[in-house]
Amino acid sequence: MLDLSSPSARVVFTLVLGAIALFLFFPIYWLTISAFKGNAELYRIIPTLWPSAPTLDHFATAFGRGRLLDQLRNSLIVSGSAAALNTLLAMYAGYSFAKFRYAGRRWTMLLLLSAQVFPFGLLLISLYPLVTELGLIDTHLGLTLSYIVFALPVSTYMLYSYFTQVPSELIEAARADGAGELRIFHTIVLPVSVPALVTVFLYGFMWSWNDLLYSLTLIVSEDKRTIGPGLLLSYLNEVNADWGGAMAASLVASSPIVVAFAFLQRWFIQGVTAGAVK
Amino acid sequence: MTQVTGNAAAGGELPAPPRVSAAARWGGLKAGERRVGLLFLAPALIAFATVIAWPFLKALGYAFTRYDLQTPVPRFIGLDNFRMILSTPEILGSFITTGIYVGLATGFTVLLGFAWAMILNQPFRGRGAVRAMSLIPWVLPSTVTAFVWGWIFNSRFGVLNALLLELGVIEFPTAWLSTSQGAMAAVVVTKVWLSIPLFMTFFLAGLQSLDREQIEAARVDGAGNWPVLRDHVLPHLRPVLLVVIVLGVIGNLQHFDTIYALTGGGPVRATAVLSIEVYRRAFDQWDTGLASAIGLLWVATILPAAAYYLRHLLRGV
Repeated sequence: MLDLSSPSARVVFTLVLGAIALFLFFPIYWLTISAFKGNAELYRIIPTLWPSAPTLDHFATAFGRGRLLDQLRNSLIVSGSAAALNTLLAMYAGYSFAKFRYAGRRWTMLLLLSAQVFPFGLLLISLYPLVTELGLIDTHLGLTLSYIVFALPVSTYMLYSYFTQVPSELIEAARADGAGELRIFHTIVLPVSVPALVTVFLYGFMWSWNDLLYSLTLIVSEDKRTIGPGLLLSYLNEVNADWGGAMAASLVASSPIVVAFAFLQRWFIQGVTAGAVK
Repeated sequence: MTQVTGNAAAGGELPAPPRVSAAARWGGLKAGERRVGLLFLAPALIAFATVIAWPFLKALGYAFTRYDLQTPVPRFIGLDNFRMILSTPEILGSFITTGIYVGLATGFTVLLGFAWAMILNQPFRGRGAVRAMSLIPWVLPSTVTAFVWGWIFNSRFGVLNALLLELGVIEFPTAWLSTSQGAMAAVVVTKVWLSIPLFMTFFLAGLQSLDREQIEAARVDGAGNWPVLRDHVLPHLRPVLLVVIVLGVIGNLQHFDTIYALTGGGPVRATAVLSIEVYRRAFDQWDTGLASAIGLLWVATILPAAAYYLRHLLRGV
């Protein structure tokens, strides 16, 4: 699209490319190598650009003292269940919006989508007493249910736009054969929608895995903490911050989501931009 | 609703009546379709009502009550909380801080996200890998993002200070997170870094539908890069740009995680945006009434952007 045949255009292009690439990628590089530096090398005014004596000490501390394994397990339980629940709710709702016509459909959709724009912090103010009344404060179940707030609206919309592309003829043919509505959805629509379902699952998983606000507030006990508040409360302590440990634990905590994303990014991007860009 | 679904239109014939229960058929075709449709919708609707609608309405109600540690049962006080907000400069200051934060973060993200999309739209070796890697900041846990930038901005051992010292830009290390402007810069930079991938993705998707022949024709007429950008690329991206700005504003107005982890709203109140302010009032001081009232005004600030976004999503539904 850009014409880079002139030298000056090439210079400007390369400079902008270099500057943005540095901004985007240097922090990731820095996170990675800092995790492998020993303390003597880490705490220097002018840092080294490559660990001179790479060490796994910080990882050992993170797993040993930092309760990292507990936190990972808690996050896995909560994010996995939240993502599954979210996908389940969103798929039925998305199908309803995509393939059925009824009065109030547009309004219901508007209502559901509007949740995306309510500030999560405001909802938390009254979710907190609600969760407490139900006896679910400081439980993984309470946190899992609260996570519906984050991903349900967008997930429903993503699946809605996917299902509208499933040919109605497929559904009609099955109806003519006498299949019930639930059966049609489960045996005909869902099998051809696996990419979309995986995307939505990952989307819900990402929101819960990366959250800080809700997990910080709704979980109190140290042994139930998920990685977001877990890392924060273990490492960021004004007086005595352990940056090496923080970096090592960060690498470990990020890897599941980065790996999952690496495999699924193409589907994911299609899902997220659906509807917003056309 | 006049619009026919794309599929029915493409199929060319009217859909056959859906097969539904006898009771539903008795009510007629429309009633049957409605019943099945609502049945599919019910689980999500119940979840929505419980964890989103009900808490939201309750928070609306709390805004007009005194509900704090001394008043364990909410008591109606009319508009007192709002009077309190208007007469408390710190709270009013939060609105200004939020404006600065949202403006800076959204502006820079749009600019850099667009530039990065233009670059990645250009063929070069290794582009696929660079594109995939560009998405990493977006998927990192917020705490990790805050750690990364907290470490870069660290006053004693941070690489940013080291770089600026080496380049001779500063003579002494700067305590970024302990000064008002430094802390604001840090939280904005962090948010920009985290949002560029999403914005870039939207811009790239928009660029894909750009008519290449039109651009080539302009090239033949001797148009340079700038005229092509101004007369063809930007007008084409206008709808995407609007959506991206609106999404950016909504996201930044809401953002809490990295600010809380990096500065906690400080030093003093320098980065106390509305999300932090509401959180502090609600969960540090346990003044639920006042927090809800601030939250209500917060929703009002999001509303215009939200209305635009929702209308955009629901066009053609």
